[in-house]
Amino acid sequence: MTIEIERRALLQMLGLGAIGSAAIGVSWPAQAQQADAVTIGWPSDVPSWDPNQRFTPDAQHLYKLVFDQPLDQNPKLELIPHLIKKWEMAPDAKSLKIELRDDVVFHNGIKMTTEDFRYTFFERIKAGHAVDTKNSWRNVADIEIASPTQCVMKFASPVPTAPQWLAFLGSFVVPKKYMEEVGVEKFREKPIGTGPYKLVDYQLNARIILERNEQYWGPKPKLKRVTIEIIKDPSARVAAIQSGQVDLTINVPVREVVRLEREPTLAGEINPITRVMLLQCRNDQGFADQNVRLAAHHAIDKAALSKAFFNNAAVPLSVPVTPGTPGFPADYKFSYDPETAKSLLTKSGFSSSKPAKIKFGSTNGQFPSDYDIARAIQQMWKKVGIDAELETIEYAKYFELNRGGKLPDATLYSWDNATGDPEIFSGYLLNTKMPFSAFKDPAVGDKIGKLFGVTDYQARVQGYKDAVKFAVDYGATIPLLQSVQTVVRKKKLSYEKFGNGWVLANTMSWS
Amino acid sequence: MFATLLTLIGRRLLLSILILLLVSVLLFIVLRALPFDPAAMSLPPNATLAEIEAKRLEMGLNLPLPQQYLIWLSHVLHGDFGSSIQFRRGVLGLVTSTLPATIELAVLAMLIASALGLAGGLTLFHVRGTAKEPIMDLGTVVLLSLPEFLWALFLILVVGVALHWLPFTGRIDPNMRLPVTTGFLLIDSWIAGRPDIFKSAVEHLILPSLALGIAFSPAIMRVLRSSLIDVYQEDYIHLARLRGLGEKRILLRHALKNAALPTLSLMGVQFGFLFGGTLLVEVIFSYPGLGNLMVDAVRNADLPIIQAVGLTYCIVVLSINTVVDSLYLILNPKLRLR
Repeated sequence: MTIEIERRALLQMLGLGAIGSAAIGVSWPAQAQQADAVTIGWPSDVPSWDPNQRFTPDAQHLYKLVFDQPLDQNPKLELIPHLIKKWEMAPDAKSLKIELRDDVVFHNGIKMTTEDFRYTFFERIKAGHAVDTKNSWRNVADIEIASPTQCVMKFASPVPTAPQWLAFLGSFVVPKKYMEEVGVEKFREKPIGTGPYKLVDYQLNARIILERNEQYWGPKPKLKRVTIEIIKDPSARVAAIQSGQVDLTINVPVREVVRLEREPTLAGEINPITRVMLLQCRNDQGFADQNVRLAAHHAIDKAALSKAFFNNAAVPLSVPVTPGTPGFPADYKFSYDPETAKSLLTKSGFSSSKPAKIKFGSTNGQFPSDYDIARAIQQMWKKVGIDAELETIEYAKYFELNRGGKLPDATLYSWDNATGDPEIFSGYLLNTKMPFSAFKDPAVGDKIGKLFGVTDYQARVQGYKDAVKFAVDYGATIPLLQSVQTVVRKKKLSYEKFGNGWVLANTMSWS
Repeated sequence: MFATLLTLIGRRLLLSILILLLVSVLLFIVLRALPFDPAAMSLPPNATLAEIEAKRLEMGLNLPLPQQYLIWLSHVLHGDFGSSIQFRRGVLGLVTSTLPATIELAVLAMLIASALGLAGGLTLFHVRGTAKEPIMDLGTVVLLSLPEFLWALFLILVVGVALHWLPFTGRIDPNMRLPVTTGFLLIDSWIAGRPDIFKSAVEHLILPSLALGIAFSPAIMRVLRSSLIDVYQEDYIHLARLRGLGEKRILLRHALKNAALPTLSLMGVQFGFLFGGTLLVEVIFSYPGLGNLMVDAVRNADLPIIQAVGLTYCIVVLSINTVVDSLYLILNPKLRLR
């Protein structure tokens, strides 16, 4: 039996939803652009508004808007004065003489002095604040204050890279008086810095709103208001820039950049930055044999990887150093040569019918196309006689696996360093005593370790150029590509490009 | 009825406490069994082994697991869920500041799912036995097979990008600011006398709640249709017809009320799934709720947050089930006699 309900009654019911939404009065033409404001779609939030607390490379861009670092870097990544006017490293690298500017005030109007500098880089650490600067500045024995603008950092052992660290990660000066008055918790809620913008509103995992600091000591930003929309999903960032809800966004898939730059109002960029993709190698198990490690390196067609996954924008690398940084040996090249790979494997008794077996780890989604790159490499290896068992590893577990000696023979890894300094870049990566390197052979470790004590800059740089070549020839590391940062922006919005990928709102302007 | 209701709620509460304890034990064991070292994760990568060991001692990770659990439980009972590894601030504050956004989203999504479910169920019932039935059935199967995150992307592309009708990031317009009273924007905006913010909050809620609501509505449609078919086999429907009542009145006054009971049970269960579905939807819509916090916590292996959010989800689902059971009791007189 069929039951007949009046068609009109049914339509009335179905229409309720439509009437409801009409009643709300949806009228929202999304356009972010205003003459003196910018809205940026950013992929991650700050871990907190205490800039010394947690080292997060992606947060450095945001912290730099509210806080200042003692030293800064220009777009070519050279160190330049900032809060520090002059600095002088002692020949033994055990002390650093510093002269601060005398015209810097915090957002609350209080002058920044050496007291604040000492508090940030010494007193907070000694007081046991939960800050990551505790680890980067653990060698600071004292900071002797001579005047409100002059002081000397004293180190327990040589720290030749101290100036670079003053422009790196969590090295931002915080106000001593204010932080002691309100406490760390309250400071995180209402942070005060000396930077070009003041924080006016913050919603965790959602939005950061900044307004220009009219008392800023440096070049005044052109834009009065900056809104950072935290959009973690790459597809949502693409949609946000395409719909006009944001004016600029970063780290969207390369194929989307290619598509979006065809839009008349948008500009897309694929910029190589100071980040490398590489394979971290072990020196035991399946990779104990140097021939196998070198064969694995010769077998990888890096240009093909760049073409397939990065529209040819990612520069193939022979060393784990990016071109343009001081420790890059421009004269060195490691060839893609499957035949050499096969002959190296033959020397060690392996062939396509009797392949070398290794374990291969990769993150999935930690950086663009990581797992796909790993699968492509797995196929390239198969062709020469290396059978790699691919497994996914969590990025958060990398250090723990490495500490416990549980990393696979080769691990696809991304290494980032905004300073471009060879010690902080390849030195940290290859130093066997540090938690980043999976290769624990002293032949490489000793070479690198010795360079940590070299105080002469030129000698240090040359030392690293030689050391990275040695490390690659030894099969200690398999560099792949220079990473790229993708940027999509409205054509009329310009910003200053930095070699390390900083995208800073205080350099932006509308034409 | 009131006494029966109180007894039911009392029983439910006791059972809920037991379930919560079990869930907390499970969560604790599972998270401790994962190959993550919370001590190492709470320090920067260049921390020394000695520093990691000291941190491990400080966090009590050297103690036997049952002792660790009891310490954690005692802290939780005092409102201390520990400190986030990633944010280095109290977990309770993080959860309470994000929970209202998720509840707001989930409730609106459930309303949408219910409205669509009701309309769809009635339509399916209406077209049964006609040529339109297979088409409608196919439609619900298609709806059932599309997960909420696909709806989210589809709505963003069509309504947000192509038509520019609605915003799809955040909770309100960037130019608006509102002091937090309850954390529920729809309530706070009324308290503050700001209809403009209320409107903006609704606009920001529409797409994420639609994505969730559409995804969860087909199950309601199908159960309602089946229940209506069952109810229409009952004698009282035939009697109503013999009494000369119109089909519309029979449906709305008699059949729908009885068919709603199984649908209500299903909605209780669905709400649990829907609440879980907020995880991906919140990330896609950059909606600052509990789901977004949880996804971040999982990505960074922030165990204290995962534990707290896990328990919060459990509490919310148990509460909803209690409410649904109470409603069931109110709507179904037979149960009151037991």
